[in-house]
Amino acid sequence: MKMNYSVNQSPQFRVLTDDQIEEIYYTALDVLEEVGAFVYHEEALELFKKHSDAVVTSDDRVRIPISMVEQALHTYPRKITLRGRNGERTTRLQKDTVSFGTGSDLPFCYDRETGERRATTYEDVKLAGRIVDYLPNYDFFMSHGIVRDAPNPQTYDRHQFLAMLEQCTKPMVLTSVDGEGLEDLWRMACVLTGGPDEFRLNPMFVAYIEPISPLKNDRTAIEKLLFAAEKGIPAMYTPCPSAGATAPASMAGMLVQSLAETLLAVVLCHLKKPGMPLIMGGVTTILDMKKSTYSYGAPELSLASAANTDIAKWLGLLMFSTGGCTDAKVLDEQAGAEMMTNLFYANLSGANLVHDVGYIDSGTNASLESLVLNDEMIGMSRQFCKGIRVDEENLALDLIEKQGPGGEYVTTDHTFQHWKEWFLPTLQDRSDYETWVSNGSKSMNDRTLERTQEIIDNHRPEGIPKHQMKAIKKIVEDADHRHS
Amino acid sequence: MGVDLSKLSESVVKGQIDEARQLTEAAVEEGVSVEDIMNQGLVVGMETVGQKWKNDEMFMPEVIRSAKAMSNAMDSIRSELEKTASGMGTMVIGTVAGDLHDIGKDLAAMMFEGAGYKVVNLGIDQPNDAFVEAVKEHKPKLLGISALLTTTMPRMGEIINGLKEAGIRDEVAVIIGGAPVTDDFAKEIGADIYAPNARAGVERAEEYFKAG
Repeated sequence: MKMNYSVNQSPQFRVLTDDQIEEIYYTALDVLEEVGAFVYHEEALELFKKHSDAVVTSDDRVRIPISMVEQALHTYPRKITLRGRNGERTTRLQKDTVSFGTGSDLPFCYDRETGERRATTYEDVKLAGRIVDYLPNYDFFMSHGIVRDAPNPQTYDRHQFLAMLEQCTKPMVLTSVDGEGLEDLWRMACVLTGGPDEFRLNPMFVAYIEPISPLKNDRTAIEKLLFAAEKGIPAMYTPCPSAGATAPASMAGMLVQSLAETLLAVVLCHLKKPGMPLIMGGVTTILDMKKSTYSYGAPELSLASAANTDIAKWLGLLMFSTGGCTDAKVLDEQAGAEMMTNLFYANLSGANLVHDVGYIDSGTNASLESLVLNDEMIGMSRQFCKGIRVDEENLALDLIEKQGPGGEYVTTDHTFQHWKEWFLPTLQDRSDYETWVSNGSKSMNDRTLERTQEIIDNHRPEGIPKHQMKAIKKIVEDADHRHS
Repeated sequence: MGVDLSKLSESVVKGQIDEARQLTEAAVEEGVSVEDIMNQGLVVGMETVGQKWKNDEMFMPEVIRSAKAMSNAMDSIRSELEKTASGMGTMVIGTVAGDLHDIGKDLAAMMFEGAGYKVVNLGIDQPNDAFVEAVKEHKPKLLGISALLTTTMPRMGEIINGLKEAGIRDEVAVIIGGAPVTDDFAKEIGADIYAPNARAGVERAEEYFKAG
């Protein structure tokens, strides 16, 4: 009998030790007590003033005692199950279970016919939805593009959700204009899930909310956060600090500040209504000092994001992280290198929702081809993350004995069984030179373009029942009416 | 009349080794001619397999299973086939002297067996004479020569010269393959067919014979 035997079910990866995480956490607590943060929202200020031991000064700055943070931290769920609009497509968010999804609200894309850079539209969001609905390695959908042809920018979020719903059955992460916008999105989702109670148990979307680094919380962000807390809508409060500009240039310093920003939301949501499904987040990266851009392809993004995930796990919170994105303007070698690096490490880190997959041009340009390319790369990374089984069947001693020196394995049943465990590429080319030439000497880019068109032409997602569609559209129309 | 030859094709495509053999034997018992068993059953099946492989719809381990089903079924009618000369013919295949690489050549052998050839596999590290002697002895339709190293590639040309010296060059088609081999090299040494991979070999050979 074997003793003291341990197994790696998957590869093991972490950036920070528990001791380092504690140090960062303690420092973030210092920031909340000594520095605090601006909160520009009356109800939130009232909650801090009247129902807690926080100190609120006349400049709307809130400083929070450690004991409140520690009390609040224990009240958050460690698991959230998301369902798509048809009740299937389940994405389970729980420790070290990784799901991948797109990012949202990219203002530009290259027109697929003219190649020209132009504003993204309702149709672009629909196409992104169709592609995400089809590709197996996407677990959730963010809009990718932003609907800029909505009748009024103040209601773009409802139109965007409608475009997303039309073509995608997977769970979603949604941006919203303000609290009223989020309420409409939630009402639209309730039509599909069967009401607020069902939504609470089977949420179909997570609300994306962000503070403003350093340590500022604007009115609309807090509005959304409090509404989410009240209704039990899963939400992430995700700081987007750029090291060297809106956060310290040191990775540890950026993580401290980002964590302090998160912990303020942890306390505030607890004061509003304990136990809401709050998710920790962070697009933690650097400001490029040559070009003054917020980098989506820097290795520091991968490093800080993985470290942030280590912190989230240690705190018992779920984590919204970043990967599959690039600063490159087109899908070129830079794009491949950056996207693969940040999605691979995000996967290894065990983050629960890895978003921004498919972003090009530092979070300003949408690319359907990038979504298709990333699906293949996520597949490669997921294959790696499966790790290695070590047991009698897999050690294969009997087989090695049977085939012997100079034998072969191609014809064995063992090969017939096990080769199917390998990653099966759809875009990578592994053919010999002659075959590659006879198939048209196509580059990865050529193949990605063709595949994208194939999916657009052939995939038709499951539709939405007419009566539900009518009810959802009514909510959108009413919003337009209110804002006209 | 009970045996449906399309079922036999299907069993080959699905790589059902026992079933393909049983269906073949049942067909023989019912008096179906070996030509029909081959041309309407087994060969049709392997053609489908070849097509699916080319289209990335089947994968090597599956193709090999189909090839096994085909050659195993053929074993039961081999003696009959030889009488009627309706088989695909014989192929001699081997790896040249100084080269101990098996797998590419063996894969090719399996593919040709699957396509209905009777394959004589000489093995690895074979001196030039062994190829020439084997052609004399087995009178194959096709001689396959494999080399995986740039250092052993020149043996291929030497073997072809050996066939010429023995006066039997015209009696056999020579097909060559291996990682460093190219179409140009094949032309340079006077080989008839070049196979860039195991999947292409059978197809290229068939094209060659069709073109006559």
